[in-house]
Amino acid sequence: MIKKMILCGLALSFLSSCVAVKEYEKVKINDPDMALSEKNVHRLEATFQSYREAASGANGGKTGGGCGCN
Amino acid sequence: MQLNKKNMKKLVSIPIMIFVTAMGFAQEKAQDSENTYKKRVLETAEVEFLASYYTQDGDNAAVTGGLGSEKLTDVTSTLIVSIPLNDDDVLTVDTGISAYTSASSSNINPFDGNKPADPFQASSGASASDVWANGVISYAHSSDDRNNIWSAKLSVSAEFDYYSLGLGGGYTKLFNEKNTELSVNANIYLDTWKAIYPIELRPSTNLGRYGTIWGNTNYNPIFTPFNSEGRNSYSAGFGFSQILSKRLQGALMVDFVNQQGLLSMPFQRVYFGDVANSFIENFQLADAIEQLPNNRTKLAVGGRMNYYINEIFVLRTYYRYYADDWGITSQTASIELPIKITDKFTLYPSYRFYNQTAANYFAPYEQHRSTEEFYTSDYDLSKYSASQYGFGITYTDIFTRAHIYKFGLKSLDLKFNQYERNSGLKASIVTAGLKFIMD
Repeated sequence: MIKKMILCGLALSFLSSCVAVKEYEKVKINDPDMALSEKNVHRLEATFQSYREAASGANGGKTGGGCGCN
Repeated sequence: MQLNKKNMKKLVSIPIMIFVTAMGFAQEKAQDSENTYKKRVLETAEVEFLASYYTQDGDNAAVTGGLGSEKLTDVTSTLIVSIPLNDDDVLTVDTGISAYTSASSSNINPFDGNKPADPFQASSGASASDVWANGVISYAHSSDDRNNIWSAKLSVSAEFDYYSLGLGGGYTKLFNEKNTELSVNANIYLDTWKAIYPIELRPSTNLGRYGTIWGNTNYNPIFTPFNSEGRNSYSAGFGFSQILSKRLQGALMVDFVNQQGLLSMPFQRVYFGDVANSFIENFQLADAIEQLPNNRTKLAVGGRMNYYINEIFVLRTYYRYYADDWGITSQTASIELPIKITDKFTLYPSYRFYNQTAANYFAPYEQHRSTEEFYTSDYDLSKYSASQYGFGITYTDIFTRAHIYKFGLKSLDLKFNQYERNSGLKASIVTAGLKFIMD
């Protein structure tokens, strides 16, 4: 698993060296549904997940603070 | 695989390698012209209103030692106001309030209802409901070429038995013609409990007032109040995103979190298998309260990959691996397929899978021994897998024709999610979001 993640990271890093999409070519990339962050409305859903599940983080959501005890 | 030093070292190396690689690009002279037209980071003030209605039910309430009603209802509303201070700076004020009623927390004192005390029956006392409120002020500054973004935030949240103060900051660097983005952020949360214990363990409680003890009439719980009620959380996050083609982009995220202090829930009961049971009415009196270590280190590594299939479909995927030093490992995978059915309406079917192993300190009802140092029967720390099915719809009007006062409606989101654990817990959540832009 760890090896796969490292390979994935390296692959993504190296791929970045050969790609430079110009601003005028980013019509599809700039589509709102292509955003790499979640919409704000998603965070209420993420909040309940962070309360009910042991795992959190690496999703742009809450990683600490708050009780989460209800 | 559990989180140990060896694995931690390997995983720490991921963001370092990415950072080193990316800094290579940074050496290249930025090709973005510094003389191009400087677009405002945020053209005009935006207001977003979010709301949710959440319900859950199950039979493994932690307040009653892993056996009892988990019925809970929560209503949350949030208002986010983003204000451009000038061409480069944006101030965001985020306030929210959440009100819940909970059968399990009502059983912190199960004897104040109208019916005989029972772990599967909600009581009606003060602990049956609570209100949580929070506020976050954040500030972001972008450089003239929009390739550097600095941010800082201050957060406060409070409920009856808990107070949290948070501070955070972040830096984002874009380069390679804005094809590559690196970010780093750090947050500190300084939290304080006002410990509320099960009614039968409070020194001031006269149990005879609530009824006669039956079963083991020589009731003698293990209980010492916590002498420290602080909880501090420190987190550091790293992000790397890359445009991989005109239709494909991805991101890697790593979060480290360390928590110190009171990590146990003071009102969660534990029942030992080697201690005779004592009851009042139908309610089993606590043998002890949850005891967990006062330190926890978490690591999460996540990745996103989004692909623009055509003018109708987009594929959004996400995967996360998580491990902590309490023995929990977890995997999360989700997929969403936005479908543009018209230029204004988009559908969002989604599926999310989650699983986790149990914490080293978890055991079900009556499975712990009184000689153990740490124990909990909180099923949120048990081994389980969960599926979440979602469906949403979004209305978008880029011309903001519908108005309320000086604000034009830009988008409206509505989403429903059904969440089911293989251990029995079921939950559903309806969320709504309205985004307005000031004229």
